[in-house]
Amino acid sequence: MLRAIFEAMNVLLFGLIAEKAGTDQVQVVVTSVRELRMALEQRIPELSVLSHAIAVDRIIVHQDMPLTGNEEIAVLPPFAGG
Amino acid sequence: MKHSVKDIFVEGPIDPAFIGTSIAKHATRTDIGAHEIFLGQVRADFTPGLTRSHENASLRAGDPVGAGADPSQAQSAGGNVSAIEFTAYREMALERMTVIREEAFTKWPSMTCLHVHHSLGTIPAGQLCFMVFASAPHRLAAREAVAWVVDRIKAELPIFGKEILADSTHVWKRNG
Repeated sequence: MLRAIFEAMNVLLFGLIAEKAGTDQVQVVVTSVRELRMALEQRIPELSVLSHAIAVDRIIVHQDMPLTGNEEIAVLPPFAGG
Repeated sequence: MKHSVKDIFVEGPIDPAFIGTSIAKHATRTDIGAHEIFLGQVRADFTPGLTRSHENASLRAGDPVGAGADPSQAQSAGGNVSAIEFTAYREMALERMTVIREEAFTKWPSMTCLHVHHSLGTIPAGQLCFMVFASAPHRLAAREAVAWVVDRIKAELPIFGKEILADSTHVWKRNG
Protein backbone atom coordinates (compact mmCIF):
# COMPACT_ATOMS: atom_id res chain seq x y z
CA MET A 1 0.00 0.00 0.00
CA LEU A 2 1.27 3.44 -0.88
CA ARG A 3 1.42 5.40 2.34
CA ALA A 4 1.71 8.68 0.44
CA ILE A 5 -1.85 8.39 -0.82
CA PHE A 6 -3.27 6.90 2.35
CA GLU A 7 -5.63 9.40 3.82
CA ALA A 8 -5.08 10.93 7.24
CA MET A 9 -7.60 9.77 9.84
CA ASN A 10 -9.25 12.06 12.28
CA VAL A 11 -9.05 10.81 15.88
CA LEU A 12 -11.53 12.15 18.44
CA LEU A 13 -10.16 12.86 21.92
CA PHE A 14 -12.24 13.23 25.08
CA GLY A 15 -11.96 14.40 28.67
CA LEU A 16 -8.56 14.09 30.30
CA ILE A 17 -6.98 12.86 27.04
CA ALA A 18 -8.17 15.96 25.15
CA GLU A 19 -6.92 18.12 28.01
CA LYS A 20 -3.43 16.55 27.87
CA ALA A 21 -3.32 16.79 24.07
CA GLY A 22 -4.51 20.39 24.13
CA THR A 23 -7.03 19.57 21.39
CA ASP A 24 -10.08 17.39 20.86
CA GLN A 25 -8.93 16.00 17.49
CA VAL A 26 -5.66 14.80 15.99
CA GLN A 27 -4.85 13.46 12.53
CA VAL A 28 -2.82 10.30 11.99
CA VAL A 29 -1.89 8.15 8.99
CA VAL A 30 -2.07 4.51 10.11
CA THR A 31 -3.24 1.16 8.77
CA SER A 32 -3.91 -0.71 12.01
CA VAL A 33 -4.90 -0.19 15.64
CA ARG A 34 -1.34 -1.13 16.64
CA GLU A 35 0.05 1.68 14.48
CA LEU A 36 -2.63 3.99 15.79
CA ARG A 37 -1.54 3.37 19.40
CA MET A 38 2.09 4.09 18.52
CA ALA A 39 1.20 7.25 16.58
CA LEU A 40 -0.97 8.50 19.43
CA GLU A 41 1.77 7.92 22.03
CA GLN A 42 4.13 10.01 19.91
CA ARG A 43 1.60 12.83 19.67
CA ILE A 44 0.46 12.61 23.30
CA PRO A 45 3.37 11.31 25.45
CA GLU A 46 1.20 11.27 28.62
CA LEU A 47 -0.98 8.58 27.03
CA SER A 48 1.48 5.85 28.09
CA VAL A 49 0.63 6.44 31.76
CA LEU A 50 -3.07 7.28 31.34
CA SER A 51 -5.79 4.68 31.43
CA HIS A 52 -7.66 4.81 28.10
CA ALA A 53 -9.56 2.79 25.52
CA ILE A 54 -9.67 2.98 21.73
CA ALA A 55 -13.08 2.90 20.03
CA VAL A 56 -13.37 2.01 16.34
CA ASP A 57 -16.76 2.90 14.88
CA ARG A 58 -18.06 3.43 18.42
CA ILE A 59 -17.04 0.00 19.71
CA ILE A 60 -14.11 -0.47 22.10
CA VAL A 61 -11.38 -2.65 20.60
CA HIS A 62 -8.99 -4.67 22.73
CA GLN A 63 -6.88 -6.21 19.98
CA ASP A 64 -5.09 -5.15 16.85
CA MET A 65 -7.16 -4.84 13.68
CA PRO A 66 -6.60 -3.31 10.24
CA LEU A 67 -7.92 0.21 9.58
CA THR A 68 -8.97 1.37 6.13
CA GLY A 69 -9.02 5.07 6.96
CA ASN A 70 -12.80 5.39 6.86
CA GLU A 71 -13.43 4.38 10.47
CA GLU A 72 -14.52 6.72 13.25
CA ILE A 73 -11.73 6.53 15.83
CA ALA A 74 -11.89 7.82 19.40
CA VAL A 75 -9.63 7.76 22.46
CA LEU A 76 -11.63 7.44 25.67
CA PRO A 77 -10.46 8.10 29.22
CA PRO A 78 -12.25 6.32 32.12
CA PHE A 79 -16.02 6.75 32.12
CA ALA A 80 -17.68 8.88 34.78
CA GLY A 81 -21.38 8.86 33.95
CA GLY A 82 -24.09 8.64 36.56
CA MET B 1 -42.65 -1.77 21.37
CA LYS B 2 -40.13 -0.24 19.00
CA HIS B 3 -37.01 1.28 20.50
CA SER B 4 -35.44 3.90 18.31
CA VAL B 5 -32.33 5.85 19.30
CA LYS B 6 -33.40 8.36 21.92
CA ASP B 7 -31.38 11.33 23.08
CA ILE B 8 -30.80 10.91 26.80
CA PHE B 9 -28.72 14.06 27.19
CA VAL B 10 -29.98 17.29 28.70
CA GLU B 11 -28.00 20.50 29.04
CA GLY B 12 -27.64 21.50 32.69
CA PRO B 13 -29.14 19.97 35.85
CA ILE B 14 -32.32 17.87 35.86
CA ASP B 15 -35.12 20.00 37.28
CA PRO B 16 -37.09 18.21 40.05
CA ALA B 17 -40.24 19.69 38.51
CA PHE B 18 -39.46 17.79 35.29
CA ILE B 19 -39.48 14.55 37.30
CA GLY B 20 -42.94 15.38 38.65
CA THR B 21 -44.17 16.05 35.14
CA SER B 22 -42.65 12.75 33.94
CA ILE B 23 -44.54 10.85 36.62
CA ALA B 24 -47.78 12.65 35.82
CA LYS B 25 -47.52 11.67 32.14
CA HIS B 26 -48.05 8.02 33.16
CA ALA B 27 -51.50 8.65 34.66
CA THR B 28 -53.21 7.42 31.48
CA ARG B 29 -51.27 4.14 31.58
CA THR B 30 -53.54 2.35 34.02
CA ASP B 31 -51.79 -0.99 33.39
CA ILE B 32 -48.84 0.39 35.39
CA GLY B 33 -48.76 -0.56 39.07
CA ALA B 34 -45.23 0.47 40.02
CA HIS B 35 -42.72 3.20 39.24
CA GLU B 36 -39.08 3.01 40.26
CA ILE B 37 -36.81 6.04 39.93
CA PHE B 38 -33.07 6.39 40.49
CA LEU B 39 -31.74 9.95 40.76
CA GLY B 40 -28.06 10.79 40.77
CA GLN B 41 -27.00 13.98 42.54
CA VAL B 42 -23.61 15.71 42.38
CA ARG B 43 -21.93 15.09 45.73
CA ALA B 44 -19.49 17.54 47.34
CA ASP B 45 -16.81 14.90 47.93
CA PHE B 46 -13.53 16.00 49.43
CA THR B 47 -10.85 15.48 46.80
CA PRO B 48 -7.17 16.08 47.45
CA GLY B 49 -5.63 18.61 45.12
CA LEU B 50 -3.23 17.17 42.59
CA THR B 51 0.00 18.35 41.11
CA ARG B 52 0.51 17.60 37.45
CA SER B 53 2.72 14.59 38.11
CA HIS B 54 0.40 13.22 40.76
CA GLU B 55 -2.54 13.58 38.45
CA ASN B 56 -0.81 11.34 35.96
CA ALA B 57 0.16 8.85 38.63
CA SER B 58 -3.36 8.74 39.97
CA LEU B 59 -4.79 7.68 36.62
CA ARG B 60 -2.61 4.71 35.79
CA ALA B 61 -4.45 1.70 34.43
CA GLY B 62 -5.61 -0.73 37.08
CA ASP B 63 -5.93 1.83 39.82
CA PRO B 64 -8.75 1.29 42.29
CA VAL B 65 -11.88 3.36 41.89
CA GLY B 66 -11.43 7.02 42.66
CA ALA B 67 -7.75 6.58 43.44
CA GLY B 68 -6.19 9.94 44.05
CA ALA B 69 -2.75 11.21 44.84
CA ASP B 70 -1.37 11.16 48.35
CA PRO B 71 -2.77 14.38 49.79
CA SER B 72 0.35 14.95 51.86
CA GLN B 73 2.36 15.25 48.64
CA ALA B 74 -0.07 17.43 46.76
CA GLN B 75 0.84 21.08 46.27
CA SER B 76 -2.75 22.25 46.04
CA ALA B 77 -4.89 21.88 49.13
CA GLY B 78 -7.71 20.49 47.02
CA GLY B 79 -11.15 20.77 48.47
CA ASN B 80 -14.72 19.76 48.10
CA VAL B 81 -16.21 19.18 44.67
CA SER B 82 -18.21 22.31 43.86
CA ALA B 83 -19.48 21.07 40.48
CA ILE B 84 -18.99 18.39 37.84
CA GLU B 85 -18.60 19.36 34.20
CA PHE B 86 -19.96 16.48 32.11
CA THR B 87 -19.03 15.84 28.49
CA ALA B 88 -19.77 12.78 26.35
CA TYR B 89 -18.92 10.98 23.15
CA ARG B 90 -22.53 11.51 22.29
CA GLU B 91 -22.95 9.20 19.26
CA MET B 92 -21.33 6.20 20.97
CA ALA B 93 -23.21 6.85 24.22
CA LEU B 94 -26.57 6.88 22.43
CA GLU B 95 -25.71 3.69 20.52
CA ARG B 96 -24.70 1.92 23.76
CA MET B 97 -27.85 3.19 25.47
CA THR B 98 -30.03 1.77 22.69
CA VAL B 99 -28.43 -1.66 23.18
CA ILE B 100 -28.82 -1.47 26.97
CA ARG B 101 -32.46 -0.39 26.61
CA GLU B 102 -33.24 -3.30 24.29
CA GLU B 103 -31.54 -5.77 26.62
CA ALA B 104 -33.52 -4.37 29.56
CA PHE B 105 -36.83 -4.91 27.76
CA THR B 106 -35.71 -8.47 26.89
CA LYS B 107 -34.78 -9.22 30.50
CA TRP B 108 -37.93 -7.62 31.96
CA PRO B 109 -40.59 -8.08 29.27
CA SER B 110 -43.34 -6.85 31.59
CA MET B 111 -41.67 -3.43 31.88
CA THR B 112 -44.02 -0.81 30.47
CA CYS B 113 -41.51 1.98 29.86
CA LEU B 114 -38.00 3.16 30.64
CA HIS B 115 -36.84 6.77 30.64
CA VAL B 116 -33.20 7.81 30.97
CA HIS B 117 -31.80 11.33 31.25
CA HIS B 118 -28.20 12.42 31.85
CA SER B 119 -26.89 15.95 32.23
CA LEU B 120 -24.14 17.55 30.20
CA GLY B 121 -22.40 20.79 31.09
CA THR B 122 -21.64 22.13 34.54
CA ILE B 123 -23.78 20.68 37.33
CA PRO B 124 -23.28 22.25 40.77
CA ALA B 125 -23.06 20.05 43.90
CA GLY B 126 -26.54 19.30 45.19
CA GLN B 127 -28.13 19.32 41.73
CA LEU B 128 -29.46 16.26 39.90
CA CYS B 129 -27.47 14.92 36.94
CA PHE B 130 -28.90 11.45 36.22
CA MET B 131 -32.34 9.88 36.16
CA VAL B 132 -33.46 6.33 35.37
CA PHE B 133 -37.21 5.82 35.57
CA ALA B 134 -38.87 2.44 34.91
CA SER B 135 -42.54 1.55 35.15
CA ALA B 136 -44.14 -1.90 35.19
CA PRO B 137 -47.35 -3.61 36.30
CA HIS B 138 -45.54 -4.88 39.43
CA ARG B 139 -42.66 -3.47 41.47
CA LEU B 140 -40.05 -6.21 41.07
CA ALA B 141 -39.49 -5.73 37.34
CA ALA B 142 -39.25 -1.94 37.68
CA ARG B 143 -36.91 -2.14 40.66
CA GLU B 144 -34.58 -4.75 39.15
CA ALA B 145 -34.47 -3.03 35.77
CA VAL B 146 -33.53 0.36 37.24
CA ALA B 147 -30.68 -1.09 39.32
CA TRP B 148 -29.36 -3.02 36.30
CA VAL B 149 -29.68 -0.12 33.86
CA VAL B 150 -27.93 2.32 36.25
CA ASP B 151 -24.96 -0.06 36.61
CA ARG B 152 -24.72 -0.64 32.86
CA ILE B 153 -24.80 3.09 32.09
CA LYS B 154 -22.07 3.86 34.60
CA ALA B 155 -19.86 1.11 33.18
CA GLU B 156 -20.48 1.46 29.44
CA LEU B 157 -21.50 4.96 28.39
CA PRO B 158 -18.60 7.21 27.33
CA ILE B 159 -19.47 10.10 29.62
CA PHE B 160 -16.64 12.10 31.23
CA GLY B 161 -16.75 14.17 34.39
CA LYS B 162 -14.42 16.96 35.40
CA GLU B 163 -14.79 17.60 39.13
CA ILE B 164 -14.29 21.29 39.78
CA LEU B 165 -12.89 21.87 43.28
CA ALA B 166 -13.48 24.83 45.55
CA ASP B 167 -9.99 26.21 44.77
CA SER B 168 -10.75 26.09 41.01
CA THR B 169 -8.41 23.15 40.35
CA HIS B 170 -9.99 20.03 38.90
CA VAL B 171 -9.78 16.27 39.01
CA TRP B 172 -11.22 13.85 36.45
CA LYS B 173 -13.87 11.57 37.94
CA ARG B 174 -13.81 7.86 37.12
CA ASN B 175 -16.34 5.11 37.75
CA GLY B 176 -15.32 1.67 38.97
